[in-house]
Amino acid sequence: MATITCREFLNYLEPWMEGERPPDAHAHAHVRTCSHCSSIINDLEMIHSEARSWSVSEQDAPERVWISLRAQLEQEGLIQETIPASEDRAQAAAPRTGWFAGLFPRLPRPVLAGAYLAALVAVAFALSGPVNKRVNEARWLKGTQISTSPLSAQLNFAEQNSNSYVTRSNPVVAASLHQNLAIVDNYIALCEKSVSEDPQNEVARDYLFEAYQQKADLLTQLTERGENVQ
Amino acid sequence: MARTRRIDTGELPEAEAIRLAQQGDAAAFERLYRLHNRRVYSLCLRMVGNTAEAEDLTQEAFLQLFRKIATFRGESAFSTWLHRLAVNVVLMKLRKKSGNESSLEELTEPDEDSGGPRRDFGAQDLRLSGSIDRVNLQRAVEQLPPGYKSVFVLHDVQGYEHNEIAEIMACSIGNSKSQLHKARMRLRELLHEALRAQAREDRKAASAETGGKD
Repeated sequence: MATITCREFLNYLEPWMEGERPPDAHAHAHVRTCSHCSSIINDLEMIHSEARSWSVSEQDAPERVWISLRAQLEQEGLIQETIPASEDRAQAAAPRTGWFAGLFPRLPRPVLAGAYLAALVAVAFALSGPVNKRVNEARWLKGTQISTSPLSAQLNFAEQNSNSYVTRSNPVVAASLHQNLAIVDNYIALCEKSVSEDPQNEVARDYLFEAYQQKADLLTQLTERGENVQ
Repeated sequence: MARTRRIDTGELPEAEAIRLAQQGDAAAFERLYRLHNRRVYSLCLRMVGNTAEAEDLTQEAFLQLFRKIATFRGESAFSTWLHRLAVNVVLMKLRKKSGNESSLEELTEPDEDSGGPRRDFGAQDLRLSGSIDRVNLQRAVEQLPPGYKSVFVLHDVQGYEHNEIAEIMACSIGNSKSQLHKARMRLRELLHEALRAQAREDRKAASAETGGKD
């Protein structure tokens, strides 16, 4: 059988690796006798195999990507809230009985901010603790309330300061901020309700944390706007 | 509430979510994001090797998608369309980073002098066996030209077929196959170079140790 050179073998390599062409007899014979070319095939197969294993560890983008994206979409007017009117009315009529509800008047829309992040991260950490411990529901609920109470106090204090700023700011801006915060207020109230009904629901707890973060961001924005108009 | 809807729309079929998103429905946007963000984020992460940049690029890709979603007519699969946007966003970013406005062809067909694949006959036949791990390979992937990198990540990591990659990258199937082969060969070469560099370092360290004892 005529033999081929290593250089000629390279022409067989691509279709071989793609599994498109059964190994040619000449190429096969060459690989059996050439350690260099057989090592190329081994290496390429290992590279492919290692790369394929990466897909197993693929993860979702962090939640902040969606939060930021959503804020951008809202800002550009690309998305609309689609809460059914009946649900909206029910939410408006329902008394706010949660431990966090009622603390705030209506405040602005969420934006990225950092002033309260440290406190929020601490809360998130506290919220995740009971998740790992897998204790009973009452303990979960109690743990949630204990861990979020300091945040509630901080946000309450921040809100009092923010209110004094907002009264001095542009009334149109203030009205817009207040209107947008109403959305977050509803969001928080519903998150609290979900958590109180099912304290071990990690998704509900995740949303509650997210709601706090949005509230903190709003207050920060409010304060910044107030400072800018002074 | 958005989050309640997120749970409610968890089973919304993609086609229905696309239709609703085209009408500006917030929950449908979120559904589409939840369905596809993992692959897009992973693609961006593999391409840029940096989580912060990957997050920005993921957001940008989806932003572009949602800005254009009203024009989606279903000629290609939604995921293909989205990936095309994502790849373009990443390639644009990499072009800006490199500081020139190189064409896609340049990004995928580097010449021999600029680091393109070389046939390494005569090179020392170091065995890669055992040296191809996640870290080494990721380092090598980061050094690939952007076009090679795109095809390699799409095919070998994410499992796309060449016909899909051809759509995503706006190239021929043959071109996709050729780029993939060149990418793998270049990776092999980069891994060999890393091995040789490591061997040199080891020798240096050994001789320094010996010299120190003398």
